[in-house]
Amino acid sequence: MKTSKSKELNKKSKEKQKNILEMLKSHGAKIYDDLDNGQFPKFSIPSRSVSNIVYDKKLRQYILGNNSALRSAKNSAQLRSFTQLMWLAFFANRLTQEKKSSTLRDVYYSSQAFAVEFEDQSESDNIIVDLEAVTSKPREDFHIFPEERSSIFGDLDIEYTIPGYEGKTMNLSNHPDGYSIGPSLTTCDLVGTSAEIVIAVEKGGLFTRFVEEQIDKKFKSIIINTGGQAPRSTRTLLKRLHDEMGLPVIILTDGDVYGEHIAMVIKSGSANAAHLRELTVPDAKWVGVWATDIEKYKLPTIPMTEFDIKRCYDLQKDPRYQEGIWKKELDVFLKLKRKAELEAFSKYGLTNITDKYLPQKLELAKSL
Amino acid sequence: MSSIKEKFNQISPSEFFYSNRDLAGFSNPTRSLYTAVREFVENSLDACDQKGILPDVHLTIKAVDPEKPDPKPYILTVKDNGPGVDSKYVPLAFGTILYGSKFGLKQARGMFGLGATMAILYGQITTNKPVIVKSSRDGKIQDEFELLLDIQKNKPIIVKHKTKEISKSGLSVSICLEGDYSKAGTKIRDYVYETSLITPYATITFDDPKGQKFHHPRFVKNIPSPPTIIRPHPHGIDVERIRRMIVESLFEIPNIDDTMIEKVRKDLGLSKKNLSFTAIMEKARKKGKSLPCQTRVVIALMSFLKMDFEKLNKIRIEDIDVPNKKLFYWDFGDSQSKSVDMDSESQYYNLLTHTVQGEPLTTFLTKRFQRVGPTTAVKFAKFAKFKPEKRMGTMTNQELVKLSNSLQTFEDFMAPDSNCLAPLGAEPLEKGIKKFFNPDFTAVVQRPASAYSGFPFIIEMGIAYGGEIKSGGPHVYRFANRIPLLYDEGSDVVLKVVNDADWGRYKVKGEPPFVIVSHICSTRIPYKTAGKENVADRPEIERELRLALQLLSRKLAAYMSKRGQAEMAKKRSNLYAKYIPMIAEFCTELAGKKKEPDYKKILEEVNPIEPKKIVEEEKPIENK
Ligand SMILES: Nc1ncnc2c1ncn2[C@@H]1O[C@H](COP(=O)(O)OP(=O)(O)OP(=O)(O)O)[C@@H](O)[C@H]1O
Ligand SMILES: [Mg+2]
Repeated sequence: MKTSKSKELNKKSKEKQKNILEMLKSHGAKIYDDLDNGQFPKFSIPSRSVSNIVYDKKLRQYILGNNSALRSAKNSAQLRSFTQLMWLAFFANRLTQEKKSSTLRDVYYSSQAFAVEFEDQSESDNIIVDLEAVTSKPREDFHIFPEERSSIFGDLDIEYTIPGYEGKTMNLSNHPDGYSIGPSLTTCDLVGTSAEIVIAVEKGGLFTRFVEEQIDKKFKSIIINTGGQAPRSTRTLLKRLHDEMGLPVIILTDGDVYGEHIAMVIKSGSANAAHLRELTVPDAKWVGVWATDIEKYKLPTIPMTEFDIKRCYDLQKDPRYQEGIWKKELDVFLKLKRKAELEAFSKYGLTNITDKYLPQKLELAKSL
Repeated sequence: MSSIKEKFNQISPSEFFYSNRDLAGFSNPTRSLYTAVREFVENSLDACDQKGILPDVHLTIKAVDPEKPDPKPYILTVKDNGPGVDSKYVPLAFGTILYGSKFGLKQARGMFGLGATMAILYGQITTNKPVIVKSSRDGKIQDEFELLLDIQKNKPIIVKHKTKEISKSGLSVSICLEGDYSKAGTKIRDYVYETSLITPYATITFDDPKGQKFHHPRFVKNIPSPPTIIRPHPHGIDVERIRRMIVESLFEIPNIDDTMIEKVRKDLGLSKKNLSFTAIMEKARKKGKSLPCQTRVVIALMSFLKMDFEKLNKIRIEDIDVPNKKLFYWDFGDSQSKSVDMDSESQYYNLLTHTVQGEPLTTFLTKRFQRVGPTTAVKFAKFAKFKPEKRMGTMTNQELVKLSNSLQTFEDFMAPDSNCLAPLGAEPLEKGIKKFFNPDFTAVVQRPASAYSGFPFIIEMGIAYGGEIKSGGPHVYRFANRIPLLYDEGSDVVLKVVNDADWGRYKVKGEPPFVIVSHICSTRIPYKTAGKENVADRPEIERELRLALQLLSRKLAAYMSKRGQAEMAKKRSNLYAKYIPMIAEFCTELAGKKKEPDYKKILEEVNPIEPKKIVEEEKPIENK
């Protein structure tokens, strides 16, 4: 049964690769024809300026509005970035064909082999975002991955698609340190799982504790360490676990405004990635640590800094923080002007969090 | 100059300059060698200018002993084809400080009458050798002098004098002096080079101590018309100068001693004869205005005293009281003061009042200033609230201040006469700039004449950009009365004006390849020192410099923006040439094609008009 499913999945990922290549080819062909017809090639690109980033209530995420800008090779001021983008498409095409992965930094250096100049990495990063905006595909689809790594642990069978490992399978509960979420896990096929929930935690320390305390077994869960703000590869994986495997996602963060926002970004994306729509898990649930938990569980606290407070006020303006627990907890944080870390539970014993807090929150999540 | 003369009349002028020689540019062997070259070359050019001769100036510097290290004695010779100096004035001109022929109000390089003599003096004190001057006025006989200077007495000592036949007029000076050519060489070569830029009608050659020859032939054939001597302009005159002019205009009451009486008798043709008082008066009336002024004053006095020569011998005039019409005198015979009344109807009364009280204001103005006619003088008197017939000698201090202020502010005087100036002219200046710097762009302006402190001046300025000019500009070339100024530029008014300019506004950025040539012409350049190296900042001069620079800068800006557009177009076409093939390469692989698209068509489309063409279209602007 597993094999038939795996074949089907393999077909699916092949299909996806084919689609990407087709799309790149059609873009390239358009430019080619323009040049061949003695015309300056041009294309339009959705505007990523602040005024064009709007919150879509239905999609529950930020998206780009209708404004778009024309990029033309005739405009000498755009000629350089036009060329850079063309090169990137060309480079992404090779990566995708050869199923090679690369990092943002790799891209920056690779450009030099083709005499395409980037001032610095931020310039090349920016062009990568341009490519995402034009194609509406995340860079991971073009085999470009970020440096940051987060990790995963739990009963999940996967099948690799990257060259050299194609067809190989793996169960992600075999190694107690967890598996780092890199290109291979982002592109693998998800074959099967016995888990019934995904628990995303903000911190590596708690991740290790959860593995030790066998939370995966006790609560039939897959545990993911986001390592602070979740990288896009991790968010993609979360989304696939939710969409493809039908698993609910809950999020556990520090009890402060940053923690609250980490959860929010997993749920509904960030303004920076408004041009992409495959990165959000709108049904994900933030279960703690809430501001209201600080009183309820009598957690030791630290005072908020001025910077923390400013961040609270900033988020109060965000349309996503206008209702529900998002608004309520933010208000309480502002009222308390104090925050509490996940480790704060250790005051009541190292396993207090897994024995008492987590079960209560899991129970609560069902009603959220 | 006269103020220095006055202040230091206790010691001889040459003694003063001997002990203050760094004032005149003779501070050390390097600077002195340079200054000596300058003084002689400038004298030669001045002499030729004055006579309208196209100058040929030959400068030679030779080491007495080439093996010796610097500083060491050099023989400096400057030879010209000018008018020379009259034999009897050679010792004075070259052996006396403050003796010169250029004190009059007209533009010349020399102005103090001390340059040549200072160089000679410096040579003498450092090497103890005489100066050799060879001069021929007529081109037939040449006088050759060997002179030493008596510093205490400010007098020349003629060591040798001989004459010989010759075929060309001109003058040559040769001195032996302590110098440092290894250090002064660059400046001297620059000086010769820049002199030929600002004197394009001169041929200048230079044989240097190392055997190198520098030849700068003339590239302009006609000499600018020579300047004429003129009177000061009333604008910007000051109280002190008016006071001095009044003193010059007053006749002194003559001291009637034996010599004076002898002179009057001689003028009347009465040396031998003794005539009666009435006969003398009759004789004088007949001679009338042909008599010298002083003699007429004596006769006027005699007419009121009613005395003959014998009686006149026994008195001394004490006072002429014009308001009370009384004449006071001391009688030696009676040993007492006496007085006589003066008849105001008498023709001699006017003469005496004139003598004592000076000219009427209107006469003073018309006679002693340029640009003041009788009508203007009367208009001015009304403006300044003076009676037109007000006698200059009766002016109080306050009135003098009022007069001077009014002269400066009265607007109806015509602009100063610039006939006394000899600017180079825009055309030769432009020709020189083009020849010397070979730039892409040149613009030249000659400002109308203006005046400071009663001295007229004209600013000429040129600006050049690009071509063979090296970057790091603006390179400023300063000239005053056709002299290049190479030292002390830091404190010069021209530098100040250039540094104040906001070049960014004129589209000149970074380290631009550009040159500014500034020429100030004046009857008196306000040098800061007698070394004639930097010009003081008089507001009137500063203003004219600014206006000239602004005008040129605007022309430069117009050129720069065209040039900028051409450069931009070129840059853009380069951009296309660089990037379009890359785009073609990338999209070929993306589109899965083998052959690259034909992008030549669009490259041709963006290729601008040939850059060369644009530069040529530029040319007409330069000449405007
Ligand atoms: N080469 C020459 N040909 C003809 N006359 C000359 C020559 N050199 C000097 N003279 C005469 O000698 C005079 C004195 O020259 P000197 O250089 O001492 O004074 P200057 O040129 O009048 O003033 P400055 O001190 O400013 O140079 C000059 O005014 C000029 O009459
Ligand atoms: Mg002189």
